[in-house]
Amino acid sequence: MKTNILGVYDDENDVMHAIDKLQEGGIKVKDVFSPFPLHHIWDKLNLTTRLPFATFIYGAVGGIATFALLYWTSVINYPLKFGGKPLNTLSFIIIMFVLTILIGTVFTALTFFIRQKLYPGKEATLPDVRTVDDKFVIVIEKDEDMDSAELTKIKSVLIETGAVEINESDVDYEA
Amino acid sequence: MYNTRVRGILIKGDKTYSEVTRDVLRPMDAPMPKWWYITAFIAISAMIWGVWGFYNTITTGIGTWGLNNNVAWGWAIINFVWWIGIGHAGTAFSIFLLILRQKWRTSINRAAEAMTIFAVMAAGLFPLIHMGRIWDGFFIFPYWNTRGPLWDNFNSPLFWDVVAISTYFTASFTFWYIGMIPDFATIRETTVSKMKKKIYGIMAFGWIGNAKSWLRFETAALLLGGLAAPLVVSVHSIVSMDFAVSVIPGWHTTIFPPYFVIGAIFSGFGMVLTLMIVLRKLYKFNDYVTDGHLDAITRILTFISLIMGSAYLIELFTAWYSGNEYELFTFMKNRVTGEYTFAYWTMLICNAIIPQFFWFKKIRKNITIVFIISLFINLGMWFERYVIVVTSLSRDFLPATWATYSPTWTEMAVFSGTLGLFVFGVIAFFRWVPTIAISEVKSVLKETTTLKSFTDED
Repeated sequence: MKTNILGVYDDENDVMHAIDKLQEGGIKVKDVFSPFPLHHIWDKLNLTTRLPFATFIYGAVGGIATFALLYWTSVINYPLKFGGKPLNTLSFIIIMFVLTILIGTVFTALTFFIRQKLYPGKEATLPDVRTVDDKFVIVIEKDEDMDSAELTKIKSVLIETGAVEINESDVDYEA
Repeated sequence: MYNTRVRGILIKGDKTYSEVTRDVLRPMDAPMPKWWYITAFIAISAMIWGVWGFYNTITTGIGTWGLNNNVAWGWAIINFVWWIGIGHAGTAFSIFLLILRQKWRTSINRAAEAMTIFAVMAAGLFPLIHMGRIWDGFFIFPYWNTRGPLWDNFNSPLFWDVVAISTYFTASFTFWYIGMIPDFATIRETTVSKMKKKIYGIMAFGWIGNAKSWLRFETAALLLGGLAAPLVVSVHSIVSMDFAVSVIPGWHTTIFPPYFVIGAIFSGFGMVLTLMIVLRKLYKFNDYVTDGHLDAITRILTFISLIMGSAYLIELFTAWYSGNEYELFTFMKNRVTGEYTFAYWTMLICNAIIPQFFWFKKIRKNITIVFIISLFINLGMWFERYVIVVTSLSRDFLPATWATYSPTWTEMAVFSGTLGLFVFGVIAFFRWVPTIAISEVKSVLKETTTLKSFTDED
């Protein structure tokens, strides 16, 4: 079982500052819990997401698939003239436009849920439950080979940067 | 990339994060207030009457409505378009303002989106029962049928409508729900009631709110918002094409798509204003939905009202300039001076003239008057659809076929049923869902409180 050191903060600016200090001192910040998104943290922790790329693929495939359906049904499978218009008409664009959005939306949402492993009724294990209310928590993994000098250093940096509490937690959450 | 400066105080009262949580969740824990029961009683009664209307329509047929050969579309389409228009507020509000990085949306977008969901649900019922044989409703979907297979007419605006409305509902609901997940997690962790912990725990999907999940959350929100933004324009354009691709005088104009979209956003913002004033009064949310917020909405409405006014004038001008006698008759004889004068001028005065009072600061500051004007906008937008649908159909090319239209009790019942559905949905939302997006408000709390409010400036 892994133990994490939790630095609890009241203010998001202190958290930003603390991450910089910790990283300068060569301490690896494992994670940060916050009640709302902290935009600068993603750069600091080198977090990226490929969700926009996935959405683009869904949209592209969705658009093409919609055109394929329209073309196949209206031109190949059952060619039926409506109002003298050509079988393969420009007005297909409207359905393609809307269904591209629908397919993009549905699959983006599903990808978000799957990648983030979110599903109805999932048990949530939080190292500190106050992070959904008003506390910010910096998580640092406590390695077995850390000596006491290193632990003291981590704690002193946390206190210096304005941590209101320093706790340890055995809660094993899925990052 | 994700950060923008804000222009003024959004949340008053120097709140702490914890206070934001408590304030927004307080009404959910408070004992059920009296107004809730009274409103619920009225809404459910209206719904029961609506169910009678539905039953009557389905078992007897569309003959129970006041429609005739000429006026084949009546209240059902009027109310459908009206509800869809109102349903544009949520997306217009949260998604346009999200894309435009307008942070003052944060305390209003949740309620606006909820309104969208219930309005679109109410709207969707009308085409459904207008089919008459509702059990054959699945014919509208392209499926491998035994008739050839005979596919749908993919060039029909009515089919586009089905696709557009269902997409709009799905996209709005997904966006709304994903936005609520962190707030459900907040309820899960802060509530003392075991039952609530269980229910909101299920709805929170196991949200923990670490850095990576927030990154994915924000990206997903931006992507879904970006995808849904074109829908604000496309849905009502498609609805307008239900009319515009026909040859009926008064409908056969190219101005219809932009005119409908603007009208939809206008009525949506009007309804948002109505609801936010009610919400803020009931829950004493004056620190969150500040006078500045309401002021911003009224300013937008003033501007959109000007566009509406120009659209009405352009319609008249085009009717004259086209030299088409049917167009001229429909606009000048039928609408402006003829039989439907009352409906036409109600529309014009409510939509283009009354909101212009918002130019005066005194009026913008008087919430009671703002509330009354917002109701006039809702009324005016209903009459706009009435004018479009009924005046054109009842007096078309052949005077021999002219007919008049008035709704029957069944149609009124159906409409009141949808009103009941909407009101019940809204009060259920007021009671069981955090009405203000807690995590979003928290994210703009600190960076705004040091600046001056944009209403104090002027």
